[in-house]
Amino acid sequence: MKAGLSGDRITGSLFLLIGIGAIWHAWSLDVPFAADPVGPKAFPMVVGALLAIAGASILLRPEEIEWEVGDYGRVAVVAGASFLYPLALEFLGFVPATALLCFACGKAFRGPTVGTAIASLALAAAFLLLIDTLLGLPLPRGPLGI
Amino acid sequence: MEALSSLAFGFSVAFTPFNLALALAGAALGTAIGALPGIGPINAIVLLLPLCFSLKLPPESALILLAGIYYGSGYGGRISSILLNIPGDPGLVMTTLDGYPLARQGRGAAALALSGIGSFVGGTLTVLLLTFLAVPIARLAVAFGPAEYVALMVLAFALLSTMGQGRTAKTWAAICLGLLGAMIGIDGGSGVERFTFGSLEMLGGIDFTTLTIGLFAVSEILIVAEGMRSGAVTHLGSGDRLKIGELVRCLPAMLRATGIGFFLGVLPGTGAAVASALAYTAEKRVSNRNDTFGKGDMRGLAAPETADNAAQTASMVPMLALGIPGSGTTAVMLGALLMYSITPGPLLFTQRPEIAWGLIASMYIGNVMLLVLNLPLVGLFARLLLVPNWILFPGVLGLSFAGVYAATNSMFELLLTTGIGIAAYAMRKMGIPLIPMLIAFVLARLLEDNIRRALSISDGDPMALFSSPVAILFWLLAALTLLVPVLAPHLGRRIRTVSDSEGG
Repeated sequence: MKAGLSGDRITGSLFLLIGIGAIWHAWSLDVPFAADPVGPKAFPMVVGALLAIAGASILLRPEEIEWEVGDYGRVAVVAGASFLYPLALEFLGFVPATALLCFACGKAFRGPTVGTAIASLALAAAFLLLIDTLLGLPLPRGPLGI
Repeated sequence: MEALSSLAFGFSVAFTPFNLALALAGAALGTAIGALPGIGPINAIVLLLPLCFSLKLPPESALILLAGIYYGSGYGGRISSILLNIPGDPGLVMTTLDGYPLARQGRGAAALALSGIGSFVGGTLTVLLLTFLAVPIARLAVAFGPAEYVALMVLAFALLSTMGQGRTAKTWAAICLGLLGAMIGIDGGSGVERFTFGSLEMLGGIDFTTLTIGLFAVSEILIVAEGMRSGAVTHLGSGDRLKIGELVRCLPAMLRATGIGFFLGVLPGTGAAVASALAYTAEKRVSNRNDTFGKGDMRGLAAPETADNAAQTASMVPMLALGIPGSGTTAVMLGALLMYSITPGPLLFTQRPEIAWGLIASMYIGNVMLLVLNLPLVGLFARLLLVPNWILFPGVLGLSFAGVYAATNSMFELLLTTGIGIAAYAMRKMGIPLIPMLIAFVLARLLEDNIRRALSISDGDPMALFSSPVAILFWLLAALTLLVPVLAPHLGRRIRTVSDSEGG
């Protein structure tokens, strides 16, 4: 399937907007003191302008993009689990949170339920052992102490 | 012979038991991670980067470990390309063309051995060239003032945009995004906050490990989750081992490929993907008499493998001598150096010789180590291909986040990692290349500082950027690079089809 030209049109307009936003942001910076005659404004403005030009060029001359149809449900599960992970990390501690993340992701990759559960726990425990115990980099411990 | 005594000094740094152990550990770990299907070299480095940092190793040791991982992961990636027909990296696509047919003929073990030897030849010959070329190039570059540096970086970006993958406009957009992303935080020259939107967490800018993990590891998992690549594992095979005669027949191909790889690797922006593609096409043109290429010709495997490694190693030349990375992996290494507050570039060889020469010496060691490690152990590493997706990718995701947390100790950085990962996933779907963005991110501070330095000498007159003959030469070359596809559309299209055929 092809996404047609709309993909490039959206990307192009987005870049155009970000570029203009960057110019505007740099323009509105309040600089009380700068050690050099150029200051912090000029560079982001030039880069923003370049981005806007690149965006406009993509917008005005869109090309077809080869678009493979995939399973966006799986992408959403993995992305959603990743967003919730920091929260779980804070309340549950490293091993439970990571096991949950791995379980959700494993199910998204069509793993068998029991196997995925076992693998998730094993992975989480292995990372804790490797990073926290062996390398000595503290990972957050939850109420269970793991 | 000054280079030889410096190299001897480098070996004295690299040959401490601790650094040797790190090189070995790096090569083994890198091979293991690189061998996992779909996890390319850059992902292997990126995954282990936060752990390297949090270990608080001295910079030369950290770099030696990273170089080991870099070499190892390159080799590991070949295992999945040859046995599984899944290249983990654009540079490895050409490997599958003749490597996979060889594996299907039951000669997987021979193909892997040949690929290891080819990489060794390409890598070692290139390090040899690097040893003698790096200092003269660096010496030329010592005379560069800020204006020359600005022009040189613009030239590097121009090369990236015309020679790399993807449309020129999209590469420029990626470069600009990388530059803007690096501006987030407090500006060193004036203390002004830029692009922080009042967020305290953003004051220090985007953490490098956060960026790389999000950009490569997380986006890769999302891409795989969407498409669910799968491949049938071909077994190592019981066919004949690699014969000396076959190896000898491949030697001319390896030497030609080393030349191509070195030349393209030194140019910023072209990198290993283009080098291996060109080496394969060139070899096919020279040697394909009986139409055996693509059906398991040994030379068709040796050429891209050798060129790939030669280009990977050669891209260290601009990184070390000029401070300008030409590939994604060297950009990661440059970022690593910057995190140690070491600015690579011409002065590195005189000011921090233990880093520059220690790294070069460790590249010799890494090449030998890989050969020694992999020829007997390849069967063991090949087992890693059998890890099912539903264990592999959750594991990679978990390790990514654990690494980011270990390096930053911040929940916010975890959220940012996911955010960057999703953005990078969308960019890949839209054909926006990620590596130019990473290179621009790493170079941004250097570029801005040099522009501001050049203009403060001239009190704000922008003509200062075009004041010296060398700077003007670089600007002209940059303009020429940008104009080539316009003036010769045929050439531009051919370069693009070569790199497009490798996929992203």
